[in-house]
Amino acid sequence: MNFTVMRTSSFFSRSSQYLLAFGLIALVTGILFTLREALDTTLVALLYLIPLGLITAYLGLGPGITSALTTFLTFNYFFIKPYYTFSVHRPTDVVILVIFLIVAIVISQLVGRMQVSLAAANAREREATRLYELSTALAGLHNDHAIAQILAKQVQEVSQGEAVELSVTGAQPFSFRIPEAHQPNRSPEWVVPIEVARGVLGEIRLWRAAPAITSSEKRLFQTFASQGALALERARLAQAESRARVLEESDHLKSILLSSVSHELRTPLSTIKAAASSLRSDDVHWDSAARPELIAAIDDEADHLNMLVGNLLDMSRIESGVLKPKREWNILSEIVGSVLTRMRHSADEHKLEINIPDSLPFIPVDYVQMEQVFTNLISNSLKYAPSNTVIRIRANIENDLVHVQVSNQGPQVPTEHLERIFDKFYRITAADRVTGTGLGLSICKGIIEAHGGRLWAENMPDGLTFNFTLPLIWEGVSPPNLTMDTETE
Amino acid sequence: MSNAPHILVIDDEPQIQRAIRTILTEKGFKVTTASRGEEGLTLAATNEPDIIILDLGLPDMDGVEVCTRLREWTQCPIIILSVRDSERDKVSALDKGADDYLTKPFGIEELLARVRVALRHSASRQGTQSKVIQAGTLTIDLAWHIIKRGDEEIKLTATEYKLLAYLAANHGRVLTHQSILANVWDPADANHTEYLRVYMRQLRKKLEADPERPQIILTEPGIGYRFIADE
Repeated sequence: MNFTVMRTSSFFSRSSQYLLAFGLIALVTGILFTLREALDTTLVALLYLIPLGLITAYLGLGPGITSALTTFLTFNYFFIKPYYTFSVHRPTDVVILVIFLIVAIVISQLVGRMQVSLAAANAREREATRLYELSTALAGLHNDHAIAQILAKQVQEVSQGEAVELSVTGAQPFSFRIPEAHQPNRSPEWVVPIEVARGVLGEIRLWRAAPAITSSEKRLFQTFASQGALALERARLAQAESRARVLEESDHLKSILLSSVSHELRTPLSTIKAAASSLRSDDVHWDSAARPELIAAIDDEADHLNMLVGNLLDMSRIESGVLKPKREWNILSEIVGSVLTRMRHSADEHKLEINIPDSLPFIPVDYVQMEQVFTNLISNSLKYAPSNTVIRIRANIENDLVHVQVSNQGPQVPTEHLERIFDKFYRITAADRVTGTGLGLSICKGIIEAHGGRLWAENMPDGLTFNFTLPLIWEGVSPPNLTMDTETE
Repeated sequence: MSNAPHILVIDDEPQIQRAIRTILTEKGFKVTTASRGEEGLTLAATNEPDIIILDLGLPDMDGVEVCTRLREWTQCPIIILSVRDSERDKVSALDKGADDYLTKPFGIEELLARVRVALRHSASRQGTQSKVIQAGTLTIDLAWHIIKRGDEEIKLTATEYKLLAYLAANHGRVLTHQSILANVWDPADANHTEYLRVYMRQLRKKLEADPERPQIILTEPGIGYRFIADE
């Protein structure tokens, strides 16, 4: 639509330029005609040059030359005797006429040429501005989509075409189109590849039937395309670099993990190997007191090894984001209860105090994962807190959250370590003093965060408290309120 | 030894096969092993074992599939063996008719206990179902609907009683949430585990000596519940 309006307006402006030129000449001719008897022929010729110069300067070369020829005719017709004919009698008049024609055309040419070069300079300046705008807009962009969008917008603004489509190839090819809805069903008038030294990254397609795309526009769009190519290339390099950095980091983490894991795995394995091989040899008698002890060691260490493998698996699941909680409406006290039942043998040197109100609503959690959180937090407390101390588990509601605390009377953790105890394999004490996997707390943190909650540790006057909060609202739904039968048989 | 219970072990790991065969033979069972699902199905049909121990991860077919195909023609107890992190698989195997499950690695005492439970249940299926179940100081008389702790009678609501009766009648076996909901409530309620959890809490408060550390009705995390009766 836009485009037809533009065409008509340029047509009008061009015809009106000629009309204006003819009008001016008619006006000047009229004025000179009234003064014809008072003016010398040479003076008339000179005065005629004024409108000619003005016309060429303001209306362009075409109207200028046309006016020069027209003036030549009117000059001859109205001002050179015999009047109202195109014949000339006096030789001086012939000379004047010829000189007038030459001067008029030369002036038109000169002024016109100046005009053209001025217009070219202006166009170049506009191009330079466009390019500057484009490169400023593209600078610092590291996203293919954003680059394509800006490039397509600029091409569209400059070309005023019907449609611009920009397609980008690569790992995730896509195309971007302006305007989105409108797509001409013919092949584009102009296609520019977006190229870099390594190959083609995409292309710009432009639909503009008329006015035809000029060579300077083509040159400009080619420059746009190469700017875009540079930006895309830069974005890809930046992405590759950040990928490389992530890989390097994860590589580093993996090697730490491996060395730590091999230490953790070998410790129980060495115990098992030593116990089993001495049982197999004849060193240990059938009735020796060492026998049941060695057997118990094998059994315990096998369990430890199993726990370690389980923890490693869980950790890798958490890190790869596979650990999606399978949520259900659960009762917190049931989860804690089954953990306590399972841990009753390992927890018999400590006193466990549970304070979970009966009125606590259902919580939307994965039962198995929450069991693991409690198991890990309690066994951590059992490990560090001295025997015969109290481990407290409390829960209460705070707004839309359930807040759970697992407190022990073990040693405090220096404030600067409070965050880091949730890091993998992070231990404040030397690894050989406490057995464990070094993963328990990181797994807890991973699980709580996968539930949309928060886990933190804080020092208490008499020990350490693990706190975590979990949202009570699950997918916008509040905990259900169930009615039960209460009548007994 | 011809009267010894016959156990079919379907597991593709030779070490596990060796260990189970050694231990169970030592305990007086007759043991046959299969390392593939198809082979296991054939052996089950020809040997008519008393118990099948089935690994869920088999090379040729899924253990759940083996379970489904076995249940098309036999009521022989099936004990599932699986690695620890496949609650969903365990639940689907149990819902497809498996009787129990064990997580690898497992203690041999555990395995033997499960085998004993399975043998008892397959015996009770053939008629002699005991109607009085003892669990610690708790006595449950399924015929007379009487529950006692020591000499003191415990009053239950209708739903609580139905729940307890279903669990106690299947004591020693793991029952999935779905099977409990379908049997005690309605098959349509099979997804409303929150009902089950609420009633379970009530029931434990009435039955357990320490409801915070249940000993009679145990939670099988992510799977269901198991009633523990005296042997």
